[in-house]
Amino acid sequence: MMDTIYLDNAATTPVDPRVVEEMLACMGSGADFANASSVSHEPGRRASARIEAARSAVAVLVGAAPEQIVWTSGATEANNLAIFGAARFHRSKGTHIVTSRTEHPSVLDPCRRLEREGFEVSYLHPGPDGIVEPPQVEAALRQDTILVSLMHVNNETGVIQDVREVGRMCRAREVLLHVDAAQSAGKLDLDVLGDRIDLLALTAHKLNGPKGVGALCVRREPRLGLVPLMYGGGQERGLRSGTLPTHQIAGFGAACRIAAAEMTEEGARVTHLRERLWSALATLPGIWLNGSEHRRAPGILNVSIEDVEGESLLLALSDLALSSGSACATLRGEPSYVLRALGRSEQLAQGSLRISLGRYTSADDIERAAMRIRAEVERLRAIAPPLAAAAG
Amino acid sequence: MHADPRYGAEVLRRFHELPGAGDATGDAGVINARADAADDGARVVLSLRIERGVVVEARFRAYGCPYFIAAASWLTDRLGGATRREVAEWDWREAAEALEIPPARFGRLITLQDAVRAAAAAWPGTAATAV
Repeated sequence: MMDTIYLDNAATTPVDPRVVEEMLACMGSGADFANASSVSHEPGRRASARIEAARSAVAVLVGAAPEQIVWTSGATEANNLAIFGAARFHRSKGTHIVTSRTEHPSVLDPCRRLEREGFEVSYLHPGPDGIVEPPQVEAALRQDTILVSLMHVNNETGVIQDVREVGRMCRAREVLLHVDAAQSAGKLDLDVLGDRIDLLALTAHKLNGPKGVGALCVRREPRLGLVPLMYGGGQERGLRSGTLPTHQIAGFGAACRIAAAEMTEEGARVTHLRERLWSALATLPGIWLNGSEHRRAPGILNVSIEDVEGESLLLALSDLALSSGSACATLRGEPSYVLRALGRSEQLAQGSLRISLGRYTSADDIERAAMRIRAEVERLRAIAPPLAAAAG
Repeated sequence: MHADPRYGAEVLRRFHELPGAGDATGDAGVINARADAADDGARVVLSLRIERGVVVEARFRAYGCPYFIAAASWLTDRLGGATRREVAEWDWREAAEALEIPPARFGRLITLQDAVRAAAAAWPGTAATAV
């Protein structure tokens, strides 16, 4: 049996061995395992120093100050804390929120929950290229708008939103901007201060760090109020109680340091591989690129293939680890709502593949993947009856 | 081929090897019976060559999920040697049981049964055929 080619890096990435090493230094009896809150003893202070070093590394990656970083369990918690926390804290100023239809469920579900609490949410439609244009956001802003939530890079299509321009207009209107940067951190330049982003959600496992740790970067100047989701020991300035997982946070910090150092070179390499993959697939009849061709993150390619059923294509390609927008491949059991929002038909959403490249993807992987996808599409099409309209 | 615990061994074998895929040979005595799912998620053409009142060759073309393709393949074996009456009376539950298809996918098998019924309706020389 051939090894599976891993092309699902937008779902999660393998932990970099250098990150593993950093984490191991925080585990076991001789390591910096102590509770970082126990600063009355040396082991606790060593763990605390690990935490603060990681905090600085995360802050550097996104252009923030270390004190802006609040540790969470991942981007889902960070998005929840940002949206619930900001909406509930600032409710007296207004109850209107703006977001888009292609956000991650960890943004859309909190928004729907807030609607039940009396908030009103405007869900913007992206264009067929997946882009929400800044003027659309501006047109949606109202006197009572308190929050705009827009992801930087879409997790399915890889399309990049212009959060800088949205940040500029939100700041001018004194509306908070929350950005889900789970897919962009470590891949694209981020500058929360320069881009006027008030709340930025991050996760470690998308940039070759460990699962189970993330962060919310919170504006400090002027201080931004949030209602916490959890109460307890008062860690993270009361915004996120709970004993800090030193090994995971240290791993997150190491992952950020590595990403910051290698981002430019790695981004160019992965972009080149993605373009090679698209070139190899684009000559298939009836294949469509989902999302803007040019405004996309380095590692994500999303295609829809006519006249191939998504679940069958995924099974046929079981030697490739990739994702599909088909109903069988989603936890919700329905075709990708992101691709449907871009105007793709149900059939094209069903027959979609998300191929996401990462640090360990090689040129050979891409060549083999392109060959296998082409072969299986042709095999499945060869046994398919023509469409009813064409059948006469 | 990698094992996938969501599908039974026979579904996987038929999906990957596609026994019975294609069209029945020749023109004489060949009928093509088609059915399309209402939601466009599945379609099938059964191609049957019938001689002396029985199916002597059964082939399929199918678009759909792996269960559907495997069931269409299985059906071509099942219909070999069948008379018109046996074809007309075929019930989709037989494929569901043979391939251990989960209930959530039963809807697709109705499409397969529609194609089988269409084949029975198109049976050549029906009046002269012993059933």
